[in-house]
Amino acid sequence: MRKADIIVALGMMLVGIIALGDAIRLGFGWGISGPEAGFFPFYMGLGIFICTVFIVITAVKTYRKDGPGKPLIPEGGLTRILWILIPAIGVVLLTELIGLHLATVFYLAFNIRVLGKMNWTKVILLSILVPLSMYIVFDKIFLIPLPEGLWGKGIIPF
Amino acid sequence: MDILSNWMMGLGVALQPFNLMIACIGLILGIIIGVLPGLGGANGVAILIPITFTMNPVSAVILLGCIYWGALYGGGICSILFNIPGEPWAVAVTFDGYPMAKGGRAGKALVLSFLAHGVGGIFGLVLLTFFAPIIAEFALKFGPPETAAVMVLTFSAMTRLGGKSPLKSVVSIFFGFILASVGMDIVTGKLRMTFDTVPLMGGFNFIVAVIGLFGLGEIFLTVEEGLKMEGVKAKVTFKDIREGLKELVIHRKVLVLGSLIGCWLGVQPGGATPASFMAYGFAKGSAADKDQYGKGASSGIIAPEAAAHGAGTAATLPMITLGIPGSPTMAVIMGGLLIMGLQPGPMLFKEHPDFVWGLIGSIWVANFLGLILVMAFAPLFAAILRIKFSVLMPIIIYVCAIGAFAVNNRMIDIYYMIIFGVIGYLFKKLDYPIAPMVLALVLGSMAESAVRQALIMGRGNPLIFFRPPIALPLMLLSILLFVWPSISSWRKKSAAKKKAGGS
Repeated sequence: MRKADIIVALGMMLVGIIALGDAIRLGFGWGISGPEAGFFPFYMGLGIFICTVFIVITAVKTYRKDGPGKPLIPEGGLTRILWILIPAIGVVLLTELIGLHLATVFYLAFNIRVLGKMNWTKVILLSILVPLSMYIVFDKIFLIPLPEGLWGKGIIPF
Repeated sequence: MDILSNWMMGLGVALQPFNLMIACIGLILGIIIGVLPGLGGANGVAILIPITFTMNPVSAVILLGCIYWGALYGGGICSILFNIPGEPWAVAVTFDGYPMAKGGRAGKALVLSFLAHGVGGIFGLVLLTFFAPIIAEFALKFGPPETAAVMVLTFSAMTRLGGKSPLKSVVSIFFGFILASVGMDIVTGKLRMTFDTVPLMGGFNFIVAVIGLFGLGEIFLTVEEGLKMEGVKAKVTFKDIREGLKELVIHRKVLVLGSLIGCWLGVQPGGATPASFMAYGFAKGSAADKDQYGKGASSGIIAPEAAAHGAGTAATLPMITLGIPGSPTMAVIMGGLLIMGLQPGPMLFKEHPDFVWGLIGSIWVANFLGLILVMAFAPLFAAILRIKFSVLMPIIIYVCAIGAFAVNNRMIDIYYMIIFGVIGYLFKKLDYPIAPMVLALVLGSMAESAVRQALIMGRGNPLIFFRPPIALPLMLLSILLFVWPSISSWRKKSAAKKKAGGS
């Protein structure tokens, strides 16, 4: 937990440094039309940098004193999260190819079957009906086009 | 009375059949969103913003608003029956709501929660209806320095309420502002922090960030704990309603106290979540029967629920009068208004009175309509939670992805959403408050232009931010708010030291 605290604070510090660097490139002083483009990000970056320095210092101090503390993720939590995260990323990659609705059919089927352990009739029914209704609501009624992917249009012609 | 006639006009707008239907749909969606853990008010509204692009602004804001009111009502159902807060502001209700439900009085617990919500909402509404025009009139005098001062005040109030460490709140605010400044600079047109990449040129959309931070982040937190849905079955009978009303009268002091705390925290941006905790703490502190708390005390349900709804409703006040949202969900609704081309702020009252009063009228209507809906259909909404989480979860992620994509029709936003989900999870775990970051992201360009215009007005002299008569007290107040907690904790410490030294 405390290690993660330090790492995240360092990450935030990096964000601050990036903002500072870019602000210096743009100029953060007084230009022809008042404050220059980098003015605001400069002070935001400076602020985040100063704050994270303090956070890191206190975190390192408590780390030295009290040890690493509880783990960030309780036991078994990480596997459960990865079971969600990795299929979700997979679905996004699949969306690039066959579109969001079709990718969701597989995603739902995977989740309901593997994690939910329901029988196949329910799996097939749910994983087809839900994306279909979403498709009708968003693409047809509200006319919000959702990603079709590379081949999506060829697979669903309507 | 000018206010009363405007109010009647607003009610008239809200009671038009189409708007009434929209309100009903919004409330039902909102209650469902409120009941489901992982889908909250903020990201529920964010997902539905793209749908409202085709509507007229009044109906659009009624839909978005009603989702929020519905989510406020629905959050309690999940807390009371399942001991799992459906919403962050419903955490405090689990302390007493679940024990009461487990003790076989689930119906009464639900009724108490709903009625407290209704009363808290009315407090917020009275405040909104009567003070909004006055504050808007006052705010017409604001120039850029005053706007900047109000924003500083907003954020310093947030640092005090956010997490345990004010430094982390400040980091979260700065991070939000930095994300908001990615893309084209509004004044000079220069590209900032894009590193010559095309996707970054569009910047980060706050809707995508909200969906990721609140939606996915929440889901990760929920699955990490290995959620088990084991709830109490409940039915709301007339006897429960009668008993609930009686209890409300008995605990009227707690009810009023909770509502007032809610209104206060809603107006000075705190939002419903800290309000509910604070009200619970106050109710417990002032109660005669402290040992009853945690075992199903009625006042332990009433206080946080009244505060949550009071805060939610009162948060509308600074949003429409000053353009400063009082809670993260309000920030998202305000972002939606900005997309529709309506700039919340004092000018809105002058230019679009029909819109403003229609909104206020719709909140009145939604408050009562929502109460009836939850009372009548609470068991039905609770039944949603009996669906297996492994079915609900992918559907929630699917809906989140639709919302994230539909804002700009960009595929990259779905990737951003996942990244924001991981950030949200880490922030939650490490006690970085997310609400200030969302607020900063929404207000980013407004705050920046206010600061820069003010500096141009003052020819580069930062003393312009302290100009009397309005900016000066606001700035002093925000500095005081920011410094006060550290001073008071320091005083407590030194007092404790003295005590220890003396004895």
